[in-house]
Order: sequence, then structure tokens, then C-alpha cells
Amino acid sequence: MLNKEFSFTLMGVLTTLYKFFKPRILGIVLALLFLSVILVSVVFTSWPAVDQLPQNLDDPSNIEGIGLLIFTDLVVPFEILSIVLLSSLMGAIYMAKGDGDE
Amino acid sequence: MAVENYAFLIPLLPALAFVLTFFFGKKLPNGGAIIPIAAIATSFVISLLITLNLLANPEEVVSQSFSWFAMLNIGILVDPLAAVMLTMVTFVSLLIHIYSLGYMSHDKAQSRYFAETALFTASMLGLILSDNILQLFICWELVGVCSFLLIGFWFQKPSAATAAKKAFLTTRIGDVMFLSGIVLLFTDLFKIYNGAIPDGVYILRFDVIFSHIPEIAAMNATIFGMEVSHITIITLLFFGGAVGKSGQFPLHVWLPDAMEGPTTVSALIHAATMVTAGVYLVARTFPMFIAAPSSLLVVAYLGAFTAIFAATMGIVMNDIKRVLAYSTISQLGYMMLGLGIGATIGAEAVGISLFHLINHAFFKALLFLCAGSVIHAVGTQDMRQMGGVAKVMPITAATMIIAALALGGFGIPGTIIGTSGFFSKDAIIESAYVFGASSGMWIPYVLSIVAALLTSLYIFRLIFMTFFGKARTDYGGHESPATMTIPLSILALFALFFGGLATERFNTFVSDTFMNDFVHVNIAELAEIGGYHLGHHGHEPLIILWLPLIVAAAGLLIAALVYGMKVVNMDRLVSRNNPIYKLLYNRYYQNELFTNFFSVKVVYEGLSYAGRAIDTGFDWLVGWLSDLVLETGESLRQFQTGAVQNYATAVITGVSLLIILIKVVMEVL
Amino acid sequence: MIPIELYIGLSAIIFSIGLYGLMTQRNGIRILMSVELMLNAANINLVAFSSYNADLTGQVFALYSIALAACEAAIGFAILMAIFKMKGTINLDSINILRW
Repeated sequence: MLNKEFSFTLMGVLTTLYKFFKPRILGIVLALLFLSVILVSVVFTSWPAVDQLPQNLDDPSNIEGIGLLIFTDLVVPFEILSIVLLSSLMGAIYMAKGDGDE
Repeated sequence: MAVENYAFLIPLLPALAFVLTFFFGKKLPNGGAIIPIAAIATSFVISLLITLNLLANPEEVVSQSFSWFAMLNIGILVDPLAAVMLTMVTFVSLLIHIYSLGYMSHDKAQSRYFAETALFTASMLGLILSDNILQLFICWELVGVCSFLLIGFWFQKPSAATAAKKAFLTTRIGDVMFLSGIVLLFTDLFKIYNGAIPDGVYILRFDVIFSHIPEIAAMNATIFGMEVSHITIITLLFFGGAVGKSGQFPLHVWLPDAMEGPTTVSALIHAATMVTAGVYLVARTFPMFIAAPSSLLVVAYLGAFTAIFAATMGIVMNDIKRVLAYSTISQLGYMMLGLGIGATIGAEAVGISLFHLINHAFFKALLFLCAGSVIHAVGTQDMRQMGGVAKVMPITAATMIIAALALGGFGIPGTIIGTSGFFSKDAIIESAYVFGASSGMWIPYVLSIVAALLTSLYIFRLIFMTFFGKARTDYGGHESPATMTIPLSILALFALFFGGLATERFNTFVSDTFMNDFVHVNIAELAEIGGYHLGHHGHEPLIILWLPLIVAAAGLLIAALVYGMKVVNMDRLVSRNNPIYKLLYNRYYQNELFTNFFSVKVVYEGLSYAGRAIDTGFDWLVGWLSDLVLETGESLRQFQTGAVQNYATAVITGVSLLIILIKVVMEVL
Repeated sequence: MIPIELYIGLSAIIFSIGLYGLMTQRNGIRILMSVELMLNAANINLVAFSSYNADLTGQVFALYSIALAACEAAIGFAILMAIFKMKGTINLDSINILRW
């Protein structure tokens, strides 16, 4: 005996779909609208790009380059980020800790 | 380092004194009175030096002006007319400030008093020095404001506050007319230049105005089917301003009430200086008046009528200051009459009128200061409670009697013996005779003679009631301090001797005020435009020369008989219910007419009906608007759900639609 | 070579999914997950542009952005915990006191 919820009649599928989508219909429509707008924009924009990706066959990884960049040119954002991370963690711990009477 | 270059300091020093006294006066002894006194003394010295220079070279007037904006300028002009006014104003103002040291010594708001009087002096001097009509108007309004402030100096008293309001509103009627005149004049001059005004020509400056009088006179406007020259309209509007400021009939009603201010203020503003601004305006624009058909006749008739009209009321007043106020109105009428007579004697009229103005400033300021001294000692303004004050206040009494003699016009014709008022007032009356003889219009002359009789009568009534006889109440006064009596004595000297010593010199000096480097006006030509026939002083019959003195003496005699020796009991002769007495005592019911009819019935009720109608309309409109806003808000606030997600949804929708919109617009374009 | 439009398109699709979640979900943790999704869509963009322009800076910033996402998650969860302590639920519909 099949449970009614697992019936695969056409009517049952439509009902389930309807129940699932009805409260979300606005969200879906808006998200699709946004997506279509963005996609149209993306397709009709000419993006700047190099013709050929630079390839270093000896060392295909770019870790070294990133590491160099972090500790030379972008060291100040890095330091600031570390402080932000630290303080946000401290804040999160403080908030999550509660009143301390537990 | 010629002193002329410092003429601009004359109004600026008192203005500076105003600022200093206003802000720092409270911390200084006597309310900082020393600052305005020093400033005005300096102004006086500068004015005096400039006047002496001008006396030597009447052609070389002081004229400095610089561009203000567009075709208007700010500048100063010291010609003979301005010079004598400057000297008089600074001198009288200086003496009154010194006197105020004693008079205001017990007042807590001394520093405010001195600041305001300094401001007044500055604006009055600015008015006199103006070389264009617009600047004159600005200062004209400034003195009006100062007058308002000072009448309402004791604003704790409701009557003073009311009087200040009344003065301000009444003069406003005249000021609006004056301003309309300026606007019309400006339009006409603009038309004359076809709107293309060359650089360096300031069209409201007096020399420019005067040089275009014939063109303005040629313009005509049709009013009620009559062809009226523009110059007539302009001058009559200017005269309207002068009527308001100088308290001529029918706008004189504010001046008696203005006596609510301190007596020194009455002396300075409402007797000696500000109220003469109207006369000064007419004198200043005299070339325009003489080119305007019938304007000068209006001036003459109205002046003569005011002279007698105010004098009749002066006879019955019991308040010592009100008598003097009506006297001031009456004398201002004489000055206007003197100017109006220019229809016959040309620019000489300016000299005669200004001479009376200066003399009047001396003796009227003196009268007011004496009255102030008496009030200070006796503690009342009601003459019925005084009597015999001469015994306790000999200096005040002596100086006041001198002033009364000057006001009455006592002197011997044909000699230089006589009080100052004698020379100036009799000159006006004689000119009125010449005017009558040449034009056949005798009414001004008759009115002025009768007014002379009344003048003498009311001023000696005041003297007898105040200083002689027995004390009617126990007031226990004492002579005033030296700061008060010394200015009195100086003014008394001037009231006594100035006329005899200066008449001829003064009249020729001031009469030539339109003939110099700055303006050169041919009065005779302009008089032809205006349709006046200028004549000269002929040899008047001897009786004409003596008549003013005779009537003055008659007035003195009547006053002495009735109020001095009580030969006739006035109370029995004229009952309090006598219609004429009541008419005079109630000031011709003009006040009632103005307040009860115009103000209450016409203005107040009319406005309230109109206001109620507008009110209802606006009520409905405002109610409707507020309902609209309320309902819109009610429905719109549903959107504020408090859930961030809804807001995010709205933002996303908005962004999407915005991008689409921009795309569409870009495509269309 | 894969055209860059595909990367950007992928990122747009992921972003829209995050958006959908943000708009429809009521559970606080799901919403946080949606936000993470949107953040990572942006990271894809960063890396894609970085590669296609031969400039490593973009990738570095993608790393930074991941670190920031960690901060955001930490704070977000802490807030959710606080809300849970207060209300006994993390359904954000119950947090609507900031209204008329």
C-alpha cells in the first residue's frame, strides 16, 4: 500500500510542486529576474582579458607568487585583516559566551 | 590734511559709539555716557570746522561718493544746507547728552538710553549728509526706528509701548509715500536715460536728479481725467513723507503721544532734530518742488493750517509736555509755510525756513529740557499741580522764560535786538505777506498771524501756570544739578542772541545752497516750469513789520491777565462743557476718528471679516492636506515590516529594475 | 580556452541562488549560508579576472575575502546564538521589533 505522499501520479507531483513553490514564487521570480539581468549584461560586455594564459610549465603553481605579494605589496591589508579577524573572533566569543553564570 | 576729508566721520563716530555703548555701557559709570558724548563732541568739532570753511568759500562743497551697486552710490554731501543742519544737530545732541547725564542718572537702563540716542544721532547725521535720495531714505527709516525705540524706552508702561507703536505706524504712512515717490523718480530717470546709464552717473544722486527736472516735468500722467506732471506727483509723495515725519496735519497724531518717552528724547528727537527731517527733505529737494505746479502751494497751505490747528490745541492742554508737543507741530507748520512761500521768493525761502528750523531747535530743545528739569524736580507733568516753581528753580525758570520769549517771537523790528525766534518767525510771516500781496492768496498770511497770537498765548499760559503764582500742591522741588543747568544756559544764550547776530549771513548762506560746484540749479528757470512768478521783498508797510510783535504781545498780555494775575477767572468764563473747549481738549476728535473709525471699523473689522473667510478656506485646505498625508502614511507604513529580508528583496528588485531601465533608456537614446 | 563569460556566468548563477535563499529562507543559519554563497560568487569573479589579466592581486584578495567570510560567519553565528538565548528560536520572523 503506497503512502499518499510518495504517489507519483501526475496530480500528486503537481500538488507537491505547488506546495513547495507557492510561498517561494516571488523569491524565484526575483532571483530569475536578477539573474537574467546580470547574464544579459555579462554576455553583452566585452571583458578585458589576455589572449593567452601565462603558463609556467616548470612550476604550474602560483603559491609562490601569491605569498610574495602578500608579504610585500599587500602586507598592510594583511596586517589589518589579521587584526579584524582577531577582534571579530574575540567579539564572537564574548557574545556567544553568555552571562557567565552557567 | 583738510578737515573736509574727514566729513564721513561725522555719522560714523556716533555709530561706533552706539556699538561700544550697547555692548560695554553697562560696565561703565553712568551707563558709558562718556563714549557717545565724546563721539558727538568730535562730530560737532568736525561739522563746525567744515561749516566755517564753507562760510569762507560757499562754492567748495564737500562731496565724496563711491559706487554702491549698479547705478546707485553711497556718498556724502556737505553743502550749506547740510552744514548748518549738521552743526545744529551735533550741537543740540551734545548738549542733550550732557543734560541726560543728570536727567537719566537714576534710570537702570542708562546704557541702553545712551546707545539708542547715539544711534539716533548717527542716523540723523547720515540723513543730513546723504548725497542721494536712496541713502537719505535708508537713514530716514533708521531715525524712525530709533524714534520708536526711544518713545518706547519705558516699555514697561503700556501707554509708552502704545505710543511707540502709534508713532511708528503713523509715520509709516508717510514713509510709504516717500518710497513710492523714490520709485517713481527712479523710473522716470531710467526712462530719460533710455535704460543706458553711463558709468559714473548715479541716477539717484541729487545733482543728477536736479539736472533732469525739466524732462521729468515734461512727463504727464492722467489721474481722474486731469493731466498731472510727474514732478508734481513725485514732490507730493515726498511731501507726504515729510508730513508723516514732521507731524503735519493730518498725520501729526503721533507726536503728542510721543511724549511718553524720556523728556530728553522729546527734546532731541521730537522737537529739535528728527521731526525737522521732513522740512529738511522738502528743502533738499526744493528745486523739484519749485518746478512742480501747485506742489509748493500745497506745502504752504498745509503748513499754515497745521500752524494754527496745532496752536489751538496747545491752548487747552494741561500736560506740560503736550503743550510743547503741539507747539512743535505748530512751529513745523511755520517751517513748511516758509518753504511753500518759495513759490514767490524762490530759494530765499529755504534760507528763511532753515533759519527758523535752527532757531526752533535751540529754543524748543531748551523748552523741553526746562520742562524736563521741572518734571524731574516736581515729579508730575500736570501743570495744574505746579505753580510757583520759579522760586525753587530760578535758573530753569529764567532759561525757560527766555525760550518762551523766543518762541513767541519778541524783538524790535529793524534792529538786531530780539530773540532768535523773532527774526526767523517774523521773516516767515512777512514772506507770507509778500506771497499774499503778489499772488492774492492771503489765507496763509492770516493763518500765520493768528497762529502767532495763539503761540504767544499758550506758551505764556504754560509759563504762568508753571512758574508763577502759589504752589498748588506740595511738591518740594529743588534746582537741578549742574550737568542739567549748564546745557540750559548755553541753549538760552543761543535762543537769545543767535537770531540777531546771524540772520542776514545765514539766509544768504543757505539760500545759495543750490549754487555750487556740486549742483548748479537755476531756480528762476525752474520756477517758470512750475508756473510760479518770483518776486522780491518789497518795502512792506510798517504795520506788517510790527504786527507779529503786536499779536505776540497781545498773547502775552492775555496770558498774564488770565493765568498770571487771575483778573478773569477762566473756569467761570469757559465752562468745561463748552463745545469749543471740548472740541479742542479732545483734539478735534481726530484721534477718535482715527482709532474708532479707521482702525476699528475699517481696518480691524474689515480685516477680521476677510481674515475669517480666508481662515475658513485655509482650515479646510489644511485639514484636507493633513488627512491626505495621514492616510497615505497609514497605508505606506505597512511596508515597514522590520524584517531585513523584505528590505533586501526590495533592494534587489530595485536594482534589477534600475538596470533594465537604464538599458532601455540607453537603447532608446 | 574557456571564455571568461562562463566563469562570470557561473558566479552570477551562484549569486542568484544565494539571493534566492536570502529572500525566502526564515532560518538564520540558512540565511548565513546564503550569504556565504554570495560571497563565494564574488570570489569566483575575483579569481577569474585575476587569471585572465595575469595579475595575482585578485587572487590574494580572494584569500582576504575568505578570511573576512570567516569573521562574518563567526559574528553571524554569535549573533544567532544570542538571539536563540533570548527568544528560544532562530527563526528571523520573530526578530521584527524594528517596525512601526
